[in-house]
Amino acid sequence: MAQDDDLDRILIGCKKGRGECFSQIIDIYASRCYGYFYRLTGNHDISDELLSELFVKLVEKIKSYKGGSFESWLFKIAANLFHDYLRGKQRRKKLHEAHREQVEAQIIEPKRSDDEQVDKLQKQLKKLDSDTKELIVLRYFSQLSFKEIARIRSEPIGTTLAKTHRGLHKLRQLMEG
Amino acid sequence: MDDHHQENLKELFARFFDAEQAESYVEDVHQAERIFHEHPAPEPDAMLIANLKANIAISLDSRRVKRFRRRLYEVAGIAAAIVILAIASVQLLEKSDLPPENDVYTASLLPTVIWESDDIAADDADLAIFTAEVEQIEYEIHTLQSGEELIDSEGPVTELEMELEEINDEFWKG
Repeated sequence: MAQDDDLDRILIGCKKGRGECFSQIIDIYASRCYGYFYRLTGNHDISDELLSELFVKLVEKIKSYKGGSFESWLFKIAANLFHDYLRGKQRRKKLHEAHREQVEAQIIEPKRSDDEQVDKLQKQLKKLDSDTKELIVLRYFSQLSFKEIARIRSEPIGTTLAKTHRGLHKLRQLMEG
Repeated sequence: MDDHHQENLKELFARFFDAEQAESYVEDVHQAERIFHEHPAPEPDAMLIANLKANIAISLDSRRVKRFRRRLYEVAGIAAAIVILAIASVQLLEKSDLPPENDVYTASLLPTVIWESDDIAADDADLAIFTAEVEQIEYEIHTLQSGEELIDSEGPVTELEMELEEINDEFWKG
């Protein structure tokens, strides 16, 4: 992980529109962001799309970054992108209600068959409710403190802690079971 | 990936739950992190990353060109405005240097002082003499009308006629 001074220097370069600085940001964060999207969607193609969108947004919005935790800012954008993707999925479901079974299969099933490669963790994460799964995945991949996560989610820190604990406890049981 | 900015989880959980619960919750968090660590998520495809970097570079270049073009238009606009203003100013200055073409200048033949003065006799010597003679004649007419006789005179009418003739001669001589 880049040191804070290095990261500040890279971000200044990004604000000046230097391509090589954006490349450095991609090198630092692509893996974690991709992991975040993959653990939420369980799909490589959708994760590819979301990761591309994330860095396009980063280029567009970098001037609005006013300092503070860059991870927090970046993962807030990532979380918003994931929510947009979920909303789009819901819209598509409604539009094709007449052919629900067929369409749902297309949407829910990965475009590229990942089932054989999906690891145990991914299978157990699917059993958690969407909000808890998002919280746990955000916590692990963003490396943000609970305080920062609570701020991103606009909820009291006590709520974040309680939800996280319930989710992690269940995940632990599922993984050990 | 389990640093989380050195957050003191035990202290944090202890603020919301009792000590025993807090300890158990912290243990759950650590266990879950270990699970994630043991099951790493797949890495993004190298080709995807290379494409992303290339697309961003292209997008930045096109933005730079657009920004440069916009600045160029702004500068050209400002320069054009300055040139137009300069031309207009020069034309206005040239016009203000020339005398107006249709204006007619007139000058009085008599000095303004004379026109404005109330004491005409003091301003012009000829006029003073003439005024004195008119006053003399007025006086003599007044005397004749009142029936008084003039001292050392040949006769009032004769004398008056002589004076009138004299004035008449002098007046026409100029």
